[in-house]
Amino acid sequence: MVKKLMLSIVALLMLFPAMAFAADEGPSTGLLNMGLNSVWIIVAFVLVLLMQGGFILLETGSTRMKNAGHVAGKTIFTIGLCTLIYWAFGYGIFNGGADISEGLRKFIGWGDFFYSPVTSAGEGDSFPSTAFFLFQLAFATISLSIAWGGFAERAKLSVYLVFTIFFTALVYPVIAHWIWGGGWLAEDGAQDYAGSTVVHLTGALAAMAATILLKPRIGKYNKDGSANEILGHNQVFSALSVLLLWVGWFGFNAGSALSVGDGFFGFVAFNTMLGAGAGTVAAMLVSWAISGKADISTTLNGALAGLVAITASCAFVDPWAAVVIGLVAGVLVFFSTKLFEKLRIDDPIYALSVHGAAGVWGTLANGLFATDELATKVGVGQGGLFDTGSWHQFGVQLESVVVCGLYVLIVSFIILGVMKLVMGLRVTEEQEIVGLDLSEHGTYGYPEQMKKAQNNNIQA
Amino acid sequence: MSDPQRLQLLRSINEAADADALRSSRDHVNDRMASKRSELPIDQFYTELNEAYDAIIIRAISLAEAHMARVGMGSPPVPYAYLLFGSGGRGEQTLSSDQDSGLVYENEPNAEKAEANRNYFAQLSKQVVIVLERLGFPRCEGNVLSDNPSWSMCLSSWNKQLDDWFEQPSWEAVRYLLIVADGRSVHGTSSLLDRMKDHFFANMAKHPNIVGRMLENTMRHKVLVGIFGQLLKERYGEDTGSIDMKYGAYIPMVNAIRLLAIQQGIRSTSTLERMKALHAANVLSEEDAQSYGQAFQLFLQLRLMTTEKLERGMYANNGKLAVRSLTREMIEQLKKGLRIGKRLQRRIIKETSVRLK
Repeated sequence: MVKKLMLSIVALLMLFPAMAFAADEGPSTGLLNMGLNSVWIIVAFVLVLLMQGGFILLETGSTRMKNAGHVAGKTIFTIGLCTLIYWAFGYGIFNGGADISEGLRKFIGWGDFFYSPVTSAGEGDSFPSTAFFLFQLAFATISLSIAWGGFAERAKLSVYLVFTIFFTALVYPVIAHWIWGGGWLAEDGAQDYAGSTVVHLTGALAAMAATILLKPRIGKYNKDGSANEILGHNQVFSALSVLLLWVGWFGFNAGSALSVGDGFFGFVAFNTMLGAGAGTVAAMLVSWAISGKADISTTLNGALAGLVAITASCAFVDPWAAVVIGLVAGVLVFFSTKLFEKLRIDDPIYALSVHGAAGVWGTLANGLFATDELATKVGVGQGGLFDTGSWHQFGVQLESVVVCGLYVLIVSFIILGVMKLVMGLRVTEEQEIVGLDLSEHGTYGYPEQMKKAQNNNIQA
Repeated sequence: MSDPQRLQLLRSINEAADADALRSSRDHVNDRMASKRSELPIDQFYTELNEAYDAIIIRAISLAEAHMARVGMGSPPVPYAYLLFGSGGRGEQTLSSDQDSGLVYENEPNAEKAEANRNYFAQLSKQVVIVLERLGFPRCEGNVLSDNPSWSMCLSSWNKQLDDWFEQPSWEAVRYLLIVADGRSVHGTSSLLDRMKDHFFANMAKHPNIVGRMLENTMRHKVLVGIFGQLLKERYGEDTGSIDMKYGAYIPMVNAIRLLAIQQGIRSTSTLERMKALHAANVLSEEDAQSYGQAFQLFLQLRLMTTEKLERGMYANNGKLAVRSLTREMIEQLKKGLRIGKRLQRRIIKETSVRLK
């Protein structure tokens, strides 16, 4: 066995120099560079797509058994639908290449609908557009899955279908265009490396519009306004989901470099890891100190909040700042969940706190911690307050958060408001109590357990 | 004793002809004490209330004995003592305490007679528990009740059971030992309990490691004050914003003082008495005894303010106190008291684990 292995290694070693000698007739450095970039982008795309596994586990783990199959299955369905809509329309709004006026281009892209890419990268391109499309598509599906947090356990299945279409066509790509597609915020130098605002805040605010219009789940609040704790059915799922998301996030953030180049994506990954670690630790400690119990949900939320916050800033800040950003996010997420609960906004998956509050913080944090050196390297905006002593970048970040937030919130309210009038958003009280597995799909996610529970109820 | 109403009430309890009459006396006691809650100094309040409840329980036992005679079971064949555990044992019953009870009777060498005795006391206990239930004292959820054979037996069986618990200190056994430590004879031949306690303390000396197990058994009830001195309140449900006075303030202190007391062989069961005895034994300094005593009295007082309700004729209480119903001054006092309680708890943990190493 060992002998065989040694032999093949020697054989390989002999092959490689031979290939190097043959380089004169082989691919150019540019082509090799392009090839490496595309491999990395496709790997990053796969990692981000795999984050959906995280969302499936997160949403099912944090909700009740009677809705498990529905919650999990609808995520897969909406990824499928989102893919088609993004291909047909969303990508064009984000990044379409048609010739439109400069004024209009500030707000939306146009063209390239039903996107039909060339099969390989052109001369001088640093990656093929197909890889880029897939990577961008994966981001759109993530933003959508975040939004579902606000719908959980009470929205009709048809609502998922209709909202996927409008969100993918009208909400997400517009924000993506403003910041990443050469839109007006990009021109202002808004820094959002991998999407604290574009992906996370957008998803969270759509979730907020939904959860407000849907109203709290049955049994969440008592008559006197006090909240009840509706525990998720599987904390292990929730913890695993965080791990999956955490791993996938390296595609999300480091993949956003879109190149292998000088290895800058390694630095981005490095900051990402620090931010996540800091968020986790801060959240557990703060919940322990304040409520007397080290809360698992809060700890998990802290990890995600750290990741969400560092998403905007991972390429713009020094490692110490990444730690500070993560720590603040972990503390913030704890108080934010309490605040939403006090406001009587039922947020089953904590989307508003994890993706919303932390998304806002992460975006603003650039205005404080970004360094001029890194901003120049990335080529977006300038250094923040602590590096330059100037509030300019903070102002730009604040602007992007407020404007994007308002757009998403208003448009989502309009879409969902019209849907509420036309088709209704919420299942009936009876369906909600029975669970969406049965009411929307006719079968349970956990048939044995649920039937047993049902029989016990009848006997009692 | 100068209060004529109180004497009259005690007389009506002692003369109650049946359970219904006794129930109305119990309701009287509760109404009267509820109205005196804010007038009386707290220790006096508990003394009066527990005196009245003792009288009611004694009367209930007499009624049960009479019932036994009426149905042809005769009178108690051997001396016995009816025991109270839990808050009853400590003389710290509130207006809505439940029954925690047991029974010990004299040994009988003759097997046939012993069986007859067992049968008599089983029937008697059953009757007592039923009468007390009719008086609105709910059964103990943990089934520490005289109608449970494990809590009603002759002295030698009790001693054997104590030996077993000491030798096999499982989590449950240790819990039972702590319950026995608070036992008090409310009626009958109290020397029977004294002999039981002699046996208990002899075993304590023989098994010094039991103290550590006892500490572990009680540690899960933490004093509900956070590291910033903030109150740790209920976060969800109908008691949102309330603090669990029973398990987050009162019980941790009871547990801590009990553990100190039984290590010193102190036989008093009331927490305040135990503190006095601990001070006399130089375990607690003058200053500590005073601050622990004050904190404990505050807890006793606030326990009385927890949500009371009558459920199916039973006086019930979940031990939770709505913090918003307190004045700012009281909240500050409570926080101070809880910090003292937490300090005591820490001290016990430290001292006990040091001694065991």
